[in-house]
Amino acid sequence: MLNRNIVEIIDALEAHEDTDAIRVLEEIGTNSPDNDIREYTSRALVKKNVHDSLKIVIINQGKGINDLSPSVAMSTINEILALKDKTEVIKILDDTINMHSDESVKDNARSVKSLLALN
Amino acid sequence: MAKIIKIGSTPKISTVNLAKTSRTTNPFKYTNFDGTSLPYADVFEGFEPKNISRLKLIASSVAGSMNKIRTGITEPIVHFVVGLKHGISSAWDYANNTNISDLKSIKKINEIANMQINLPGETLIKNSVADLKMNISSGLENLEHGFISFGKDISEKWNSITSKIHSGKISSGMSVSELEEMWKQEIANAGLKGAA
Repeated sequence: MLNRNIVEIIDALEAHEDTDAIRVLEEIGTNSPDNDIREYTSRALVKKNVHDSLKIVIINQGKGINDLSPSVAMSTINEILALKDKTEVIKILDDTINMHSDESVKDNARSVKSLLALN
Repeated sequence: MAKIIKIGSTPKISTVNLAKTSRTTNPFKYTNFDGTSLPYADVFEGFEPKNISRLKLIASSVAGSMNKIRTGITEPIVHFVVGLKHGISSAWDYANNTNISDLKSIKKINEIANMQINLPGETLIKNSVADLKMNISSGLENLEHGFISFGKDISEKWNSITSKIHSGKISSGMSVSELEEMWKQEIANAGLKGAA
């Protein structure tokens, strides 16, 4: 169960125009031992729909779509599928598929791109 | 037989009455009712009231009134005519000798017609209009300032109220560092609760 204050902090950071908010979300949210906090933070980073925030949840091992928790990974993928403007996320997925060194990250990126094509 | 006796006793009256009675159907035509009734008023006897001509009734009342007037005149007609003549002649003299402009009513009309309206001069009018315009514009300006200040006051009060309401809430209006510190504080509090 997510703490109400933490939910409000994550929402405020998601809506914040300062790019430093992405750093805070990554450092505290995606590294949290709490699955719910990681899930909520990953969704917030996807909703921001900017290059730096999307990169965190796509190319980093153990974060976003590569999280060890299936609920966190699936929630992040669902949020990516729900994006109206998918231009930036497709570009990052293509770069990840083509250039990332980790095969598991590549496979995840490929799967998400397939889902986007089917959507 | 009775007629012969009657003629014999009053030959003059009987002759006259008989002669006149024979020329008219109204036996009361020449009867004197002191001017209060018409000679032919009894003609309508026996008729229903609804069949009586309204015009005839009016005519009878008018004639009765005239008879009353005639009997009511006690002054000799000569005096009356003399007085009337004197009145007419005096009126004529008055009309001839009086200037029409001297009449009171005519004087009053002339006074009104010739009355000079003391309006302010042209410059005064212009100044008055300019003053009025300036007063209106200044009034509107004051009104506008009043509305603006009123709006500012309302806005400030509203902002203070909303800030008080949201004072305990976390919003994107806070700085990232503040949010970060709060998040860390929440984590610390959660850790303390978990340890306890």
